[in-house]
Amino acid sequence: MVEHDVTDSTDWLSTPLSALTPLESALRCQVCKDFYTTPMLTSCSHTFCSLCIRRALASDMKCPLCRANDQEMKLRSNWSMEEAVEAWKGARSRTLEMARSRGAPGSPKRKANEVELEEQTGSKRLRSSARLSGKATMPSYAPKPIGGDDIVQISDGEEEFEPEPDDGLVSCPSCRKRMKEWQVFTHLNTCTGPSPKPKTPPKPQLGAFGQPQQKAKDRLPAVNYSMLKDNALRKRLADLGLSTQGPRTILESRHREFLTLWNANCDAVYPKRKAQLISDLESWERAQRTGGANRGTMVKDKEFDGVAWAQKHGDSFKDLVAEALRNRAVAKSKSIPEDGGPAAEHEPRKPAEESLPFPSNPAAVVPITAGDGVAMLSRPANEQEDQAIHVAVRVTESSSDIPLAGRTYHAQNASHGEPRPRQDCDNVVPAQFDPGAHGTGFLRD
Amino acid sequence: MSAGMSGRRLMKELGKIHNDGLPPGIELVSSGESEADNSDWLLDIRVLDDNPLYKDQVYRLRFRFPKAYPIEPPEVTFENRPDRPIPMHPHVYSNGIICLDLLGSQGWSPVQSAQSVCMSIQSMLTSNNKNERPEGDEQFVKMNKSRPRDIQFLYDDNTV
Repeated sequence: MVEHDVTDSTDWLSTPLSALTPLESALRCQVCKDFYTTPMLTSCSHTFCSLCIRRALASDMKCPLCRANDQEMKLRSNWSMEEAVEAWKGARSRTLEMARSRGAPGSPKRKANEVELEEQTGSKRLRSSARLSGKATMPSYAPKPIGGDDIVQISDGEEEFEPEPDDGLVSCPSCRKRMKEWQVFTHLNTCTGPSPKPKTPPKPQLGAFGQPQQKAKDRLPAVNYSMLKDNALRKRLADLGLSTQGPRTILESRHREFLTLWNANCDAVYPKRKAQLISDLESWERAQRTGGANRGTMVKDKEFDGVAWAQKHGDSFKDLVAEALRNRAVAKSKSIPEDGGPAAEHEPRKPAEESLPFPSNPAAVVPITAGDGVAMLSRPANEQEDQAIHVAVRVTESSSDIPLAGRTYHAQNASHGEPRPRQDCDNVVPAQFDPGAHGTGFLRD
Repeated sequence: MSAGMSGRRLMKELGKIHNDGLPPGIELVSSGESEADNSDWLLDIRVLDDNPLYKDQVYRLRFRFPKAYPIEPPEVTFENRPDRPIPMHPHVYSNGIICLDLLGSQGWSPVQSAQSVCMSIQSMLTSNNKNERPEGDEQFVKMNKSRPRDIQFLYDDNTV
């Protein structure tokens, strides 16, 4: 996914305002390098985006900056930082535009000096342009109370009736700002009239009955997954309205990520709706699966052309079918009920005969006992079917340079739809591998 | 937003490199196979002082960023090429795998970046004066089939 609006604090380095680089850097999260979204303070007084710090703490319970131990429960909102970030975000693009248009070649330092020099000599051009830009950027600023601390801005539309709050203040007859009585007169001299309806901050949207939308207030507690049986975990997912498809590791990471998203959302000033969170979770899951460093376990994406794939790799499938049948015959002759293994974790799914993506591919319906090298081909897993077939082809393609045990590993690995080989490896290895043959056991530095 | 957590973060690191450059002795060779997939970077590093072990040599590092980056560490290895040898170091195996705690899940912190990792490796080389490979290097290189992230290293040397 290519983002075109990638901004960074170093954007200022090439402009006369290079001194803004450290300022902007201070407004950015050290984890995502983006402006703080819902900044939270840790016990060690560092600030991160709510989502970033929750993900980091879920991963190793330490502050990313100073490695002090911390807990999600102890996070506190950093409202002032959020305010500063919002204000700066509003001002940034215009300021940068202006700084760039004034930018001249040369070292940033020299440029900075130039500006100082011009300011000292009172360059008229600089002042007027500064003032102009100040006006021009006004609308994009997050509206802030103007004046002293005791002036409260009311951001409601004119048409809405607002009962007079009993706060000892009066409102300006023109712009309806709330202030102390003695301030009104002086304020009126400078009052610019009714303030335009502010664009930001957005008010929490109202639901059908004028109720605030389902506000995500209650944080969800962390779960000790090792204490949770598969079905209990599935039930939890179902209760949250999440998919219960996939192997155990996926279920756990899905549940964990949703808790993170949910709890981070609880911190937000304007929380998203649950449906939005669920769609965030889905896109997170897609991103976790596809491409990247996990090429070994690529799964089907939306553009996947199943027919073309089936044609291209038809022969491989046939070979696999033959092999699978052989294995099955062998397994039967031994008559060992092999029901254990990783496949046993899976929920039973629809029968294979329904909606096969590759009607021409008999491999998908060959019943094989779990534990075979190509066992997953028998998994009638609707959307995951392609995945299993994909896996099988990978095995044949790579079989020349991977030992037999490795083939087993790869097949099971990918048929889990598991994007993170490491975890899968943990699950699979003890049952299937002789660790000595893979050099994982002896390595000690 | 969550769709491209690692992608977005990597774009930012690239933007910073583009704007600000890299520290001396570190050069970005390529940042991914395509614009859409920027999860595989190559960087060249040099040791800046006169350490005879590494003088006049350039080493190539390959970074593989997982989807959960920066929560999870990148996989960093030295690449062996005709003009890019694997540096001699008691924590660098001759197949390029680096035993460095900050690349493991225990030592990693999400505030690290490709640049900071390069600087750490640079300084790890700079401070070394042993012309040797790790113990059991030959056996490890011959037998190891797992990826660096799946190897259980035991970090016992605090002098690096």
